[in-house]
Amino acid sequence: MNLDHFGMDTITLAGALEGKLRAVRDAGFAQVMLSARDVVGHPDGEAAAVAAVRESGLRVTGFQVLRDFEGLAGHLHAYKVDVAKAMLGMCRDLGSELLLVCSSTLTHGSGDPELVVRDLRKLAMLAVPLGIRIAYEALSWGKHVNEYPQAWDLVERADRANLGLALDSFHALATGAALDGLEGLDPAKVFLVQLADFMWQEIRSPEERINTARHFRVFPGEGVHGVEVAALVRRLDEMGYRGDYSFEVFNDDYVQLPLPVVARRARQSVKWLTDQVSRRSLPIRRAAKR
Amino acid sequence: MTAKEALPEPTNPLGVDGIEFIEYATSQPQALGTVLQTMGFMPVARHRSREVMLYRQGSMNLIVNAHPDALPGLAAPTAVPELKAVALRVRDAAYAWRRAQELGAWEMPIRASAMELNIPGIHGAADTLIYFVDRYKDFSIYDVDFVPLPGVAPRPPALAGLHYFGVVQTIGPDRTADWVDFYRTLLDFSVLPTGQYFGILPKGTLLESPCHKFYLQLLEPPPASEDIVWTEGLLRIGLGAPDVLAATRALKSRGVVFVDRGAVQTSEKGALTQVHLGGVTFELVVSHLQP
Repeated sequence: MNLDHFGMDTITLAGALEGKLRAVRDAGFAQVMLSARDVVGHPDGEAAAVAAVRESGLRVTGFQVLRDFEGLAGHLHAYKVDVAKAMLGMCRDLGSELLLVCSSTLTHGSGDPELVVRDLRKLAMLAVPLGIRIAYEALSWGKHVNEYPQAWDLVERADRANLGLALDSFHALATGAALDGLEGLDPAKVFLVQLADFMWQEIRSPEERINTARHFRVFPGEGVHGVEVAALVRRLDEMGYRGDYSFEVFNDDYVQLPLPVVARRARQSVKWLTDQVSRRSLPIRRAAKR
Repeated sequence: MTAKEALPEPTNPLGVDGIEFIEYATSQPQALGTVLQTMGFMPVARHRSREVMLYRQGSMNLIVNAHPDALPGLAAPTAVPELKAVALRVRDAAYAWRRAQELGAWEMPIRASAMELNIPGIHGAADTLIYFVDRYKDFSIYDVDFVPLPGVAPRPPALAGLHYFGVVQTIGPDRTADWVDFYRTLLDFSVLPTGQYFGILPKGTLLESPCHKFYLQLLEPPPASEDIVWTEGLLRIGLGAPDVLAATRALKSRGVVFVDRGAVQTSEKGALTQVHLGGVTFELVVSHLQP
């Protein structure tokens, strides 16, 4: 595991897309996770945003985020399919091969696994001709799906080659979801791992969970759950996961700090994580040699 | 306990029944027409409102589209002819189109003019289309949209029993499983066991149509091919022939040249024509299919 496996997310940084891309690249990262807002909010239009991304030389980890897609019926479903198509189009234009989809928070949506599986299959099918993979994530305040083993169960049932799981350490830690569930995952079907920590020991309510997720996340190594985050990465690494790790750090302070300062903290987090993981795996390697 | 009869699921819910036509797009329709004629395809009709020509040979219909907006919303045809569409015969085109969309296919915009047929379609690889046609028995789509060329036999016979055998599609690296899902889910194709190949180019993954009348070959880029430009799309048409050697003899006498380089040699199993116009090639495969 090295720096090439890690990327930053534009949502952690303030300002214009070009500045974010420059800061990420200057910090030594080779990839970046993009948000739809980076593209549609670009003052010179979408084409300029796409050009900036391509010129940056950064690999696009993925594109986010399609929300509240699954479990809807009738006109709500048709509306969301239109939204999904538009997002898939942007995703392709940016050269991103992955679209992040969060579990639905809507009370209007059904949690019937059969309907959810049907919708995930449909989304995966829409993505096939565009060469895009769908990464489905359990949002910890999702209405029906809020822990990663549930999301994994649906991904497995849908059984589509370009449909996999997105794992976010924040959501797993926030709900106290045990890391034991990782053992049930197929590492080849984990399409993305997003990493973040936070500053307090416990989250007491769903409202606090949302508030923390959107404003108070920090890089791994900066919060109080470092041991768990490192354990998660170590476990995934041992299982054979070789995909990307993206820092999904929403933090109100970081979006008012100079970009190089924040990007430096992300770099330190990579070092901290790789140290933690390699340190712990050394005895195992020695044992294997005997 | 209730006794349950093990009835199989319907394997062909759309009633797929072979290929109705295959479509090329090009800005040089006459040059492509010359190539097609050496292959035995004859021009038989012209579209009423567009720069589109229908070629025919035996059971095969082949359309050459040179209209500036050949395919709606997509780029104009290039000088190098490109395979742009495959039209499938189905039981009910409207049903097939609806079902495909419910399962996640991208619909294709309508392009018919007044009094012309609206042929429903969905997007396939890259900017190619898959059409659904259900009028191929009592009367054909060409009766409505095309005007026959005067003094030309409307049904020229096939050369040496040639018929559509399949289409070869190039796909990106590690994309076989994605495209297998696509064809299996939307059109009920099935994957042939590994190692079962036809012809002389045993590569990639072969999918069989639910009507057992044609095949799709999916080709990922060959290993160590970083220098090759390999984009997704339809690469070439496969033509079936009951006797490949007789077919190649007949075609050679018309000026068709076959590749004989390395592993690619004409044999009783198959043959490959040289590339024309920068991208047009035909593969011959021994076949006794009755389209």
